[in-house]
Amino acid sequence: MSAIVKISNLDKYFGRLHVLKDISLEVQPREVVCIIGRSGSGKSTLLRCINFLEEPSHGTIEVDGLIVAGGEKGKEHRQLVHDLRLRTGMVFQDFNLFPHMSVLENVIEGPVTVKKMDRAKAIELAEYNLNNVDMLWKKDEYPNRLSGGQKQRVAIARALTMEPRVMLFDEPTSALDPELIGEVLTVMKKVALEGMTMLVVTHEMGFAKEVADRVVVMADGEIIEDAAPEELFETPKDARTLALIERYRSGSN
Amino acid sequence: MTAVTQKPQAELLYEAQLRKERIFRTHVGVTWLVLLMTIVFFFSGQNFLGIKTISLDNIFITENLAFIAGGLGETIRISILSILLAMILALLAALGRLSTFPPFYALSTFYVSLIRGTPLYLQIFFFFLALPQIFPAWATVPGLWAGVLALGMNYGAYMSETFRAGIASVSKGQREAALALGMTPGQTMLRIVIPQALRFAIPPMGNDFIAMTKDSALVSATGFVHELMWRATKVGRAQFNNLEALIVAAVFYWGLTLILTYFQNRLEARMSRGDR
Ligand SMILES: Nc1ncnc2c1ncn2[C@@H]1O[C@H](COP(=O)(O)OP(=O)(O)OP(=O)(O)O)[C@@H](O)[C@H]1O
Ligand SMILES: [Mg+2]
Repeated sequence: MSAIVKISNLDKYFGRLHVLKDISLEVQPREVVCIIGRSGSGKSTLLRCINFLEEPSHGTIEVDGLIVAGGEKGKEHRQLVHDLRLRTGMVFQDFNLFPHMSVLENVIEGPVTVKKMDRAKAIELAEYNLNNVDMLWKKDEYPNRLSGGQKQRVAIARALTMEPRVMLFDEPTSALDPELIGEVLTVMKKVALEGMTMLVVTHEMGFAKEVADRVVVMADGEIIEDAAPEELFETPKDARTLALIERYRSGSN
Repeated sequence: MTAVTQKPQAELLYEAQLRKERIFRTHVGVTWLVLLMTIVFFFSGQNFLGIKTISLDNIFITENLAFIAGGLGETIRISILSILLAMILALLAALGRLSTFPPFYALSTFYVSLIRGTPLYLQIFFFFLALPQIFPAWATVPGLWAGVLALGMNYGAYMSETFRAGIASVSKGQREAALALGMTPGQTMLRIVIPQALRFAIPPMGNDFIAMTKDSALVSATGFVHELMWRATKVGRAQFNNLEALIVAAVFYWGLTLILTYFQNRLEARMSRGDR
């Protein structure tokens, strides 16, 4: 089986700051990979390089056979980035629903505007996905009338309605009140069980243990460990991984 | 026990607060009325307790009221057309100001600087009197359009700042969410950023519109647009009744402003309530 996501020799600089250092990572179809690491280790930057919200300085990103090299310019490159973004869906920490659109309008916006999908067909698809995250009953509501957990579920439906090949989650539950985290994790687990390939930056160790096939540990812009969750949490090889796990156990990030 | 007594007390305080606000508003209202009555009395021509007040030429007023009022429509027309032009120019100037393409940025800042650096009065005369010297054909264009062009360009330059602030008020996350969905930068601007920026900019634009209805009076100086001010000065000068004519015009402007302010306040209240 060949990888659906393949990150090769990825470097990212912010000015002089070397944030990602020669990262290579492969993700197989249907795999769920959790990315953990201390604040500032480069987790978000890695995720955002995959859909070129951050332009990689060097290296290539491959998603479902489409290879895009970082550090390029021009029309052709922009087209490649566009195609890459159609293959990836992203869920943000602070939801970023469009406040001037209802829930349903948020979800059909991508298919209608980007894919030029017929509106009726987009609504059908959107309603299916909203139902899947149990938010169909709020389809005519505006985002500012939803709880954080509800917003995030809509954001997940919005990304899924674009029918991406891989979903990227950047700390999807970090902005939520503790009692709302569960509903979002439940939805994510459901998406994983339906066979979606997922990369998830998270501090939720329970989720990582239960749902992830692999856990990747980052420190100072490098991947320091990459293993199945049981293995990683039971017998961490790197002292920094152990320290990280200890921190999570003691309840703080 | 305290919880039981506390709630009524909070309510009492709230009621006292409401009462205070009501009393304040009543006093303000009464004082307004008194001031208004004083002005009316001042121009009533009555002899009162030995004070001889100014008497207006009522016959002039009744004879010319309809003529002056006939300019109201033109005042409103020129204001609406000008604000529409101003909105378009302001949006373009704001986008230029945010553009990373040097010519667009330069064009926008040049336009804003030039307009802000010269008097509105001069700009109006420029469009009416100087432009035909360059383009003789322009002289045949109705005066209304020269006025709209001058007012629209002037207000557009000032309003571009409102638009720019509105666009800047849309968070980076909104753009990123749109880009992540695969939208082009143009689609992101048009479908996500500008609608939210407009929502932010509409209340200040209401204020600009109110200001414009009054600045439209400047257009009268050219003699080509027969709006309120032009009509008032025409009949006032002709019959040496400038006092009466200007009072009539002032009442119309003031009334128009009060009506527009009422709608502006309602709009602002609705916008601040959130969704939509
Ligand atoms: N746009 C940017 N410009 C400059 N520096 C940046 C930018 N974005 C991130 N950085 C820096 O890059 C490093 C990695 O940041 P990143 O956000 O990827 O970390 P993270 O692992 O996601 O951290 P956190 O857990 O706090 O979200 C940090 O030192 C950060 O300050
Ligand atoms: Mg992060």
